[in-house]
Amino acid sequence: MLAFAIRRIAASIPILLISSFVVFLLASLSGNPLDELLFRNPPPPPEVIALETERLRLDEPLLERYWLWLTGLFTGDFGPSVHSTLDIGAELTRRFIVTMRLIALAMLVAVVLAVVVGVVSAVKQYSKTDYTATFLGFLFLAMPSFWLAILLKQAGIDFNDAVGQQVIYTIGASSVIEPDGFWAKVADTAGHMVLPTISLALISYAAWSRYQRASMLEVMDSDYVRLARAKGLSNRRVMVRHALRNALIPLTTVTALDLAAIISGAVVTETVFQWRGMGDLLLTAIRDNDTYVVMAWLLVTATVVILFNLIADLLYAVLDPRIRYA
Amino acid sequence: MRRSRLGSLIAVTAAATMVLAACGGGGGAGGGQGDGAAGVFADCKENPNTCNSVPADQLQKGGQISFALEKDIQNWNITSAEGNVFETAMALKGVLPFTFVTQPDLTLAMNEDLLASAEQTSTSPQTIVYEIKPEAVWADGTPITADDFVYNWKVQNGRDCPTCAAATNSGYDQVQSVTGSNNGKTVTVVYSKPYTDWKNLWSSGAPLYPAHIAAQQGDLNTPEGLAAAFSYFEKTVPTYTGGAYRIENWQPNVALTTVPNPQWYGSTKPALDRVIFRIITDATQEPVALQNNEVQVIYPQPQVDLVQQVANIPNVSQYQGLGLTWEHFDLNLANPFLADEALRDAMFTATNRQDIIAKTVGQFNNEVGPMNSHMFVPGQPGYEDVVSETGHGNGDVEAARKILTDAGYTGAQEGQRLTRPDGQVVPPLRIRYTTGNAIRQNECELFASYMRPLGLDVQVVPTDDLGGTLNSGDYDIMVFAWVSSPFPFANAQQTWLSTSSSNFGKYNNPEVDRLLTEAASSTDEAAARDLLIQADRILSEDAYVLPLYQKPTFIAVQNSVANVRNNSSLDGPPYNIQEWGLRAG
Repeated sequence: MLAFAIRRIAASIPILLISSFVVFLLASLSGNPLDELLFRNPPPPPEVIALETERLRLDEPLLERYWLWLTGLFTGDFGPSVHSTLDIGAELTRRFIVTMRLIALAMLVAVVLAVVVGVVSAVKQYSKTDYTATFLGFLFLAMPSFWLAILLKQAGIDFNDAVGQQVIYTIGASSVIEPDGFWAKVADTAGHMVLPTISLALISYAAWSRYQRASMLEVMDSDYVRLARAKGLSNRRVMVRHALRNALIPLTTVTALDLAAIISGAVVTETVFQWRGMGDLLLTAIRDNDTYVVMAWLLVTATVVILFNLIADLLYAVLDPRIRYA
Repeated sequence: MRRSRLGSLIAVTAAATMVLAACGGGGGAGGGQGDGAAGVFADCKENPNTCNSVPADQLQKGGQISFALEKDIQNWNITSAEGNVFETAMALKGVLPFTFVTQPDLTLAMNEDLLASAEQTSTSPQTIVYEIKPEAVWADGTPITADDFVYNWKVQNGRDCPTCAAATNSGYDQVQSVTGSNNGKTVTVVYSKPYTDWKNLWSSGAPLYPAHIAAQQGDLNTPEGLAAAFSYFEKTVPTYTGGAYRIENWQPNVALTTVPNPQWYGSTKPALDRVIFRIITDATQEPVALQNNEVQVIYPQPQVDLVQQVANIPNVSQYQGLGLTWEHFDLNLANPFLADEALRDAMFTATNRQDIIAKTVGQFNNEVGPMNSHMFVPGQPGYEDVVSETGHGNGDVEAARKILTDAGYTGAQEGQRLTRPDGQVVPPLRIRYTTGNAIRQNECELFASYMRPLGLDVQVVPTDDLGGTLNSGDYDIMVFAWVSSPFPFANAQQTWLSTSSSNFGKYNNPEVDRLLTEAASSTDEAAARDLLIQADRILSEDAYVLPLYQKPTFIAVQNSVANVRNNSSLDGPPYNIQEWGLRAG
């Protein structure tokens, strides 16, 4: 297992290098970070432009800039941001925590919902419940995440109007002036988290519930479940102990593999709800032509995705002995 | 059985559709018709400086206003190149003292809280004397004096601190000396060369940072000490204030919270408990935040959808002003074909500006009209129509053809190829715009359509790198915007002088150069203005740049908000932040 993990990690290094080089080229060639300064009226003195050009390494050839960035990583230097006061490493840490908080909660909600709805749909196949779940699943699957988020925001405002007070918030992760008292703070945090979490969770839930349903149906149709029933086990015991446990295996790996999709969904969710996570960092960096911040984002995100892919493979082997022994 | 399943599916579909429809319609139900351009801004067009006014004694005591800010604050030194950001300047308007500010009608006003007077006492050498009010102090009790003027001059003049990356040296580099008398409360500024825009120095765009705090960072008589202080102000969240508000809390990327400064010496004391600058980097989210009362003032760039969305929010007023930013078509005179004035003249004559406006910004603002000056925007003293008399921008294809025919061109017909008198066919021209800017793409496509009847093939080509494209001259026609200034004289030099780094189109007219130089170094503002108008007229006749329109600005507020109004200048609505309040009751 360890050798397998090491092999997978080693294989991911060239992928990281190639992707970082391609993104570096794209980010560097897509605009001039000094545009904002050059178009000021009056523009800054030429000496200032020269200083900035040097600080941002724009006077170096492209390949040299990439090499400097790459070698700098070994000393913890992520390169210069267009904002000279920005510490990219510290900013990444702060943003990563915000995004992970959003993603972890959304994934939890999505998994629980997907398992419950998938299992119920499978058990009650072709019932009204199944049709409703199927319809909603495909609806959320087809719905652009930004549109869903906008609908949710409007629903939140209508809810506030209905109850006559500010319960749901549409921007930020917490109020600027935090309320006094523990429960007031909890309510404030919940009021800020509910919409983005639902928004991000529903997109993943839609696909996962379909996986769970299909997987459950397959397991329920297997010989060992029939045998369990034939042995006289209760329906509940058959479902929970024999069917569900095995039906969860594919979902476990799909969940881990879907992390990249969730991170890209978080870019949209963070923008709509103005959370200052990794997604917001990426968009701001692209807007500012901030190449080294884009690269830092890529590095962290790619590493997380590769890590979760590895975890998915390992989990699969752990959960399904047939894979391990093969 | 099959029918029953189908029926169930239809029922589920219908129910879900109704749920979604209810969700989507929520905005309408909760919104209704807003107050639109009326409401608290009803008289802003007639009284831009006083609309939405409520006397201080009639305001609610306390409360807070949240103002949506579209950019994070990365650098706290507005006088630095990196920190000189519109949003940062707005957020610090209540914290840093300044000499002059631009009012909503785009005229300048002296900061009467800080200064008793600011006058030109001599023209040779040009000498300006500022009288600082005795009661003007920083929050720690240190008086605001000439020392503050001296420090801020030194870090911006390009001589005393070469490594201080100042936003501009313009004007400061012409100051010969800044001296204090009367315990520092009288500041005498002597210029080595007259500087017409002297009111721009230490104004709200480049406010005063405290010299006594700067002195704690190093010796202000050395470049190193000045650089250390300059850098300190860039990186440090201000704990100092010389304005009506002080910073209570800064949450990076989230919000700047300001509270009244107890040492505030101004005549109008803040009525609010707090002003919060809430960072919302996506303008499309601002109307929702306004509707949910998470912010009370928004100031985004107007778009059709955004304006309509705000109009549907109850108890919210909105207003569109016309700002200092103006859109224009630039020709590249380095192209030998465009070097011919007759061709340029014809191209601009065939261009229909009214049509362009109707199909772009006119969709959400019916006040926008063609702009007719290169030097001033409408409303600014000195604005004079110098474009209409040339016939440019009227979309007169026949007149354009006549110009070409008279100059010896042939083939000025749709489907033919325009040919110069020397027999050379005018090759396809490229008009460029910034990728992703839909309005500019429309403008370019319309321009290409106006050129077709003249036998000109104009190809629309976007660019990712506007600066690089302009600098390299990799264009024939470019559409972009200039930001005009309440300090037009130095601004005009930067934009139009043949030796300027901003002369992307290689325009060169010695007479214009002379007029601009003379205008920028005058001690008589009215005479300088006349010189700019003369230069403006020549620029129009030379058919180098065709002004299109002033870009609109947009403000929307909850109706409870008082004394907040549009200010389309670079000072923005917080220009009078000390007066902001909430309506009582």
